[in-house]
Amino acid sequence: MKDLSNLTYTEIKKGLDKGDFSSEEITKSSLNRIELIDPKIKAFLEINSERVLTAAKESDERRKNKSLKSSLDGIPIGIKDNICINGEITSCSSKILANFRSPYDATVISKLKAKGFIFLPRTNMDEFAMGSSTENSAFQTTKNPFDTNRIPGGSSGGSAAAVAAGMVSTSLGSDTGGSIRQPASLCGIWGLKPTYGRVSRYGLVAYASSLDQIGPFGNDIQAVIDVFDTIQGFDLHDQTSAKDKSFDSQKVKLSSWKGVRIGVMKTEETQSSPSVAKRYEALKSQLTKEGAILKELDFSLFKYSIPVYYLIATAECSSNLSRFDGIRYGFRDEGNGKLEDLYVESRSKGFGNEVKRRILLGTFSLSSGYYDAYYGKAQKARVLIQKQYDAFFKEVDCILQPTSPTTAFKVGEKTKDPIQMYLADILTTTVNLAGVPAISCPAGTDESGLPIGMQITTNHFEEEKLLSFATMLNEFPENKITLPNSIS
Amino acid sequence: MDEKNLREIAALAKLNIKDEEISGMLNDFSRIVSYVDEIKNLDTSSVEDDEIYSLTMHVLRPDITENTLNRDALSKIAPSYENGYVVVPRVIET
Repeated sequence: MKDLSNLTYTEIKKGLDKGDFSSEEITKSSLNRIELIDPKIKAFLEINSERVLTAAKESDERRKNKSLKSSLDGIPIGIKDNICINGEITSCSSKILANFRSPYDATVISKLKAKGFIFLPRTNMDEFAMGSSTENSAFQTTKNPFDTNRIPGGSSGGSAAAVAAGMVSTSLGSDTGGSIRQPASLCGIWGLKPTYGRVSRYGLVAYASSLDQIGPFGNDIQAVIDVFDTIQGFDLHDQTSAKDKSFDSQKVKLSSWKGVRIGVMKTEETQSSPSVAKRYEALKSQLTKEGAILKELDFSLFKYSIPVYYLIATAECSSNLSRFDGIRYGFRDEGNGKLEDLYVESRSKGFGNEVKRRILLGTFSLSSGYYDAYYGKAQKARVLIQKQYDAFFKEVDCILQPTSPTTAFKVGEKTKDPIQMYLADILTTTVNLAGVPAISCPAGTDESGLPIGMQITTNHFEEEKLLSFATMLNEFPENKITLPNSIS
Repeated sequence: MDEKNLREIAALAKLNIKDEEISGMLNDFSRIVSYVDEIKNLDTSSVEDDEIYSLTMHVLRPDITENTLNRDALSKIAPSYENGYVVVPRVIET
């Protein structure tokens, strides 16, 4: 059998188109790679090979009959375990949904189906997307393909690791405070958080509804462009879905940095490790040399981003997760047979510690006597952050920052201290609070060979510009990262 | 924050914290609360109450009744289901 592992998304797309290999062959190659190396990486919670291969054979049949659904028909894609696929388990890596089989498709799934993508559910995640390392999964910890003693980031760590390890060329994740961008950065791939309202969340299990967005990972930028193009657009089933906002992938173009106004941070303000700081500094010089106009922006307000984010996200999660009560679906423990007991026992046994911590913090900040000082205050601070971004984008075309202040940290390094873990998202959460789009792009490696990522942010609904800048950033040879072939 | 406060909040959230978990949870919780207390230093007096809501979109769909999931699909995901009803413990004492 041909070895098709580690092909880029673009190579897969072209290979299928030219008939170099079939969808069944590329899908088999994905499944073989998973069988071979996923015992070490643990990116996937479950794979139903038979169902996946049937879908691939159907795609090949369509190709033979010249009835392809689109030019993307037959490409395998990994799906995070919080996105509903009809008939498949959607567990959010939680015991409370361990056996929950979704009775419907998320809108993003319907859209991908309409183009003929082959789904590989389900990739591991932090329970209910609460975490930055996948160590909060109730089932397994995903490892970083660059170094299996390290975490891949989170919460979409399974989706990121699956792409970095060559199991799939693209996957879906969700991003509430950095959960796509941070793992993309730590795994050396691309990860996009679209503008709030661009992609329907119907069928995404809600964590913090005013922040959540679904977005793609890719082992090249074209994967991100194509998958985003497929899943974006208005949807009646999501009341925050934006109307009349078009995205034209043809407008994503490679052009010159000359005259592009880039907002940057003072390197010491990023609180980055020496290797990340060094790369950021070097990239700023390279961009200046290419003719970009760099402008240092005032990020002093952003030091409040983690407290603001956690107050808002946890308040929303305490409300969203109240639906898991053991009554209509999910895990039930009847306790001593009283209704109240059923609620308490089902939730207490079903949720893990971090989920409980966040529900408690949210319940606290919404409770009488504390509301104004915490949740109300955080909402006002959020408005200030949003206004700050509005002001930034009057002065610059995009903002460039490191995605994560460090490269991948070790398994267990931050699990003892929740605040240390929260600080992993210090450069990503403001983007969700403002609702603007941002992408993490590969930006070379540190001295140990671990990936560094840079985050580009643009104004609302400027994904065409954002993806163009991401394409341009990849032109610097220093940014290229070779994904690991063998896993040790 | 003391044990009594934490237990009250847990009761509101319908969570039970085991005795052996309480000190760890209390410790984490106090640290997180003192960390988020940082926002008290931020001056937000320039933000009006109604601005909080003006930045979010509100898209409503037409008020048309549609079938989403049928009973059969729902019966398959319910932990306990009989004759068209989700079964729960008795709620009225006799």
